[in-house]
Amino acid sequence: MKTLSRLLRSPEAVAGFALLAGMAAMALLAPLLFPADPLAIAGPPLTPPFETWQHVFGTDRLGRDVLAGLFHGARTSLAVGLAAAAAAIVAGSLIGTAAGFAGGLADEALMRVTDAFQTVPAFLLALAFVSVAGPSLTTVVAAIALGAWTGPARIARAEILSLRERDFVAGARVVGMHPVEIALREVLPNALPPVLALSSVIVAGAVLIEASLSFLGLGDPNRVTWGGMIAEGRTVLRSAPFLSIIPGIALVLTVLGVYLAGEGVVEASAARRSFA
Amino acid sequence: MSILTLSRRSVLSGSAALMASTALPARLWAQTPAKGGRLIVAADSEPRNLNPAMVASNGVFFVSSKVVEPLAEAFFDGKDGLEPRLATSWEGSDDGLTITFKLREGVMWHDGKPFTSADVAFSALQVWKPLQNLGRVVFKDLEAVDTPDDHTAVFRFSKPTPFQLIRNALPPLTSVLPKHIYETGEIDKNPANNAPVGTGPFKFAEHKAGEYYRLEKNSSYWGKDLPHLDEIVYRVLPDRAAAAGALEAEEIHLAAFSAVPLTDLARIAKVPGIEVVTRGYEALTYQLVVEINHRRKELADLKVRQAIAHAIDRKFVVDTIFLGYAAASTGPVPVNDKQFYTADVPQYAFDVAKANALLDEAGYKRGADGNRFSLKLLPAPYFNETRQFGDYLRQALAAVGIDAQLVNNDAAAHQKAVYTDHDFDLAIAPPVFRGDPAISTTILVQSGIPDGVPFSNQGGYKNEALDALIAKAAETLDPAARTELYWEFQKKVAEDLPLINVAEWGFISVARSSVKNIANNPRWVVSNWADIWVDS
Repeated sequence: MKTLSRLLRSPEAVAGFALLAGMAAMALLAPLLFPADPLAIAGPPLTPPFETWQHVFGTDRLGRDVLAGLFHGARTSLAVGLAAAAAAIVAGSLIGTAAGFAGGLADEALMRVTDAFQTVPAFLLALAFVSVAGPSLTTVVAAIALGAWTGPARIARAEILSLRERDFVAGARVVGMHPVEIALREVLPNALPPVLALSSVIVAGAVLIEASLSFLGLGDPNRVTWGGMIAEGRTVLRSAPFLSIIPGIALVLTVLGVYLAGEGVVEASAARRSFA
Repeated sequence: MSILTLSRRSVLSGSAALMASTALPARLWAQTPAKGGRLIVAADSEPRNLNPAMVASNGVFFVSSKVVEPLAEAFFDGKDGLEPRLATSWEGSDDGLTITFKLREGVMWHDGKPFTSADVAFSALQVWKPLQNLGRVVFKDLEAVDTPDDHTAVFRFSKPTPFQLIRNALPPLTSVLPKHIYETGEIDKNPANNAPVGTGPFKFAEHKAGEYYRLEKNSSYWGKDLPHLDEIVYRVLPDRAAAAGALEAEEIHLAAFSAVPLTDLARIAKVPGIEVVTRGYEALTYQLVVEINHRRKELADLKVRQAIAHAIDRKFVVDTIFLGYAAASTGPVPVNDKQFYTADVPQYAFDVAKANALLDEAGYKRGADGNRFSLKLLPAPYFNETRQFGDYLRQALAAVGIDAQLVNNDAAAHQKAVYTDHDFDLAIAPPVFRGDPAISTTILVQSGIPDGVPFSNQGGYKNEALDALIAKAAETLDPAARTELYWEFQKKVAEDLPLINVAEWGFISVARSSVKNIANNPRWVVSNWADIWVDS
């Protein structure tokens, strides 16, 4: 309760959540407001924005509605962002927990693998993975998660290292719980809050990487994505800049929203911790 | 460092030239070619191999055709549509077994050695026939080249070969290499492949990877008072938006091969001092083609193929995707070809209702989700337009209940997927029509081609009547009879739809108005540019 009121007092957090709520609403309402395929040719090509009610944000080079693309693109962006972040956090915290709790050789091995992944830039890793596996929504999610799980893994391990020496863990051992059960049921839940604090950074990064991949033509070509819209607009940048600017703004607002909301949550919970 | 001085110098000379032209109001000698000067051209790719005798492709010709010359060049209104280059005359025997070329006298290679018939014999037998991508087909029956004297070369064929075909193949396929440079060592590893030596109006000077190619004047060129220019610089500008900007800033004089995107043409045509030129590509017609994998049972049904042909709105493709810089196709030979084209073939008008009816007739009813069946659609990634047509075709097929899933690949993966692995249902390809159906068009429908040959029939299509027709045309000597066989060929292809021809297009050049004598032959952009000059 206190956290919530603190959250509401920070204007950044409120702005962030408002932006995110807006994007989520766009994503959820897309199939209701624009039931047709957003890639369908809906009108004359290159209609400028705010000229007809039918195509408020205009149409692209083939005559596809930009507003419909924007709404359906929000679905793809948010779905990829959330799925990739969830995959990265689940995989990362499991690996981190295993490493931290097992210790010894297993810890060494897992952490060196983590190091290896961390030394390769996440975007390059995603680029290489998608070029080999072929562009589709699941490979894009996997590719992004592949570069993002190392952060959660390291933080989870660090937390576990301190938690596993606590009395309640020793207690659980004495009671005769199985080490895997101790790790997953007793230790991991306590290590999660700092890991979850990373999620906003990962979601924002994932949205950007997805957009970059689509911009380079490595997104799923059967879906509308903001990155793909920007790339398409690039060929007509001089004569119809709105085609790149509109999805660009949507992208900026989403990433900004995720960051601000994440910051707000972290600050509010940090304040709670220090006051506690 | 050198590119810095180069571009700075070129900008300075460009602006100095502009000031000079505005300062002198009377331009009395405007149409007398000015001597000297440098032409700066945008290049969008850097071919690794610059040997036009081995790699007959437009990207290679764009640079190397100024250095290495063919026996004859295409011409708007010469005899046979040809203008002599290294050969001054050509004569075919009645039995189709020999062709006699008289060669130009007094021609020197860039290294000072004389050009003789031995060079032609060497190029034909050692390079065009065994190594060249297109020569392998056209010169497959070439048995020997006799050289009775230094300026006569007699081609001997083992089977009757149409003289018409060889004539049509002269401009793109017969770049002559110097024997004395290529006779030792392996031809495909010769250093001259990257720094060509020829007889052309320009000598290859240098290539700085990622920056520029530089060609300089050949002062002992055989053409009288040619070339006009002192040098040609190809600036590597892979970003298409950069070419338009560089033209406006007068950093370059010319951007060919549609380096300026079609969507930018309307705007840039209004910029003073810049011209948009659509001529000069007549013999390099690209065709937009839907390749079909006949191994797919639905697509093996002619009704389904006809339905797809009816589902495509060619007018939309020409007007919206190509912005009018293209023509709708009727069949496998482009409309602008004067020798072989016939309009007398079955046509497929845009008619969604008819397409739906044909699919119903074929027995593919719409399911609960409105789809009849799903297809994998692979658009070639080489041009913006092929990719956009992929987006369009997906929608056009959705309108008739065919769910097409786009698969995007890079160039290498696309070639492998379509031409080697046959992992496609429909693909979009941009093959080139090269003046004669036997050079690179019949291969698109002929059966029995080994896996992996790009731009060939890899869709598993087999039609014995069509194969027989192609074989017969390849050995019919009488031009009129041969042309008639190709009319029949066009009719059969349009009837049976082994592939669907959608549109055909040439490229666009954008040039500063100071560049003169441009676009004066049907292969101008890949010809030798001896007569081009810059008005300063």
